[in-house]
Amino acid sequence: MIRLEDITKVYATKRGLHTVLDGVSFEVPLGTSMGIMGKNGAGKSTLLRIIGGAEMPTSGTVTRGSRVSFPIGFTGAFHGSLTGEENCRFAARIYGQELTRVVAETRAFADIGAYFYNPVSTYSTGMRARLAFGLSMSIDFDVYLIDEVTAVGDRRFKKKCQAALKERAAHGSLIVISHSVATLKQLCDKCAVLDQGKLQVCASVDEASKLYAA
Amino acid sequence: MSALRGLVVQSEVVHAIFLRETRTRFGQYRMGYVWAIADPAIVILTIAAFLALVDRPTPFGMDVYSFIATGIIPYKLFASSAQQVGEAVNGNRALLFYPRVLPVDLAIARWLFELATYTTVFVVLMGLHALYEQRLLVDEPLFVLLGLTLASLLGTGMGLVFCTLGVLSRTADRARGPLLRPLFWISGIFFTVASLPPHVRPLAGLNPVIHCTELVRAGWFESYEATYVDLAYLAVWVIALLAIGLVMERRVRRKIEVT
Repeated sequence: MIRLEDITKVYATKRGLHTVLDGVSFEVPLGTSMGIMGKNGAGKSTLLRIIGGAEMPTSGTVTRGSRVSFPIGFTGAFHGSLTGEENCRFAARIYGQELTRVVAETRAFADIGAYFYNPVSTYSTGMRARLAFGLSMSIDFDVYLIDEVTAVGDRRFKKKCQAALKERAAHGSLIVISHSVATLKQLCDKCAVLDQGKLQVCASVDEASKLYAA
Repeated sequence: MSALRGLVVQSEVVHAIFLRETRTRFGQYRMGYVWAIADPAIVILTIAAFLALVDRPTPFGMDVYSFIATGIIPYKLFASSAQQVGEAVNGNRALLFYPRVLPVDLAIARWLFELATYTTVFVVLMGLHALYEQRLLVDEPLFVLLGLTLASLLGTGMGLVFCTLGVLSRTADRARGPLLRPLFWISGIFFTVASLPPHVRPLAGLNPVIHCTELVRAGWFESYEATYVDLAYLAVWVIALLAIGLVMERRVRRKIEVT
């Protein structure tokens, strides 16, 4: 379960304070999933980082009743001079998971062959995304935070990702940022639109996309 | 999350960062970790060789090699901790992307890494000398240990203050090097407090680092006493810096932008 109560996030910019999130509240019980739509720069990724705990809100509280993932889809947390395997071992250690299992499952899911044992700096963007997604699927979370992850990779890999996510959604929760209505419809029960710091939660993806288009 | 569970998670995180540091710091070079030991060894050998050549007498019958080593290792432990912890956030910013990793974890891991490295350096370099001399006499081993530990804590406290200030202001980041570098010349690497003119001694004692080098020397050499070590003064520095640094870390934790 994830509950946000009156979350506000204010950044200091050169031209004064900028309010990214302005009193955002919602709840996602375990077993249900929510999509988030919004323009570029609307604060979707910031919201995801706050839900995960990587960033603190300026005010308001986040309640996490379960194991929440790091935002999936971002690959910057990999160290370029370490191999894919070494990066996986690091993440597995942080989350107190069994190293051999996480490494084996990530290698199988990412399916990048011998590159798994090469430094990440030699990877293409697609390979990094494959590694990142495989890693997040091998660590045992209840709530998965997904930031446009289905936008990367070839069609086969996208299908594999969606299947894996659907399976997780059955037991846990997904909070998904996406511009694709089709993706959101596949994965989410309800959907919210983030605009000018305000979040409006709709009962269905269709309703949200209508609101978003308006 | 209970306090105990929090402690378990934190130790998992620190352990993971520590292991990662060993790979990222030395992993890409040939002989890797040997450089951690070779680096101070080269400095010690160069200075010791120079002092031996100019035939400068060392105080209180200390041999040149041990005299320089007991000065430079605690100093380097201090300076390296201050530098590494000072750059803990800048050097590993991407890791803060994992919600489980906090700035203080990065600092703790680097503190332990420096402490482990320089303790090894001390044992190896003094051990080689003892093998060469066929003799090993340590007057007060606990003083040596205390001096090294306090040097690392002093450096870590200073590094943590600079690291957290650096989040708020780039100027603080820039100022760390110029502020800390002169300490090389006044921290008792090349002299002992007892060998200074009496009116300079209290002034030299204002520098907290010199109390660490004096402690290590007094512990190592039977002929040298810890007359000028003010443990209370050193402790105030260590506790104050760590307290300020830890409070600051909590204040800036939410201000660090990951990307």
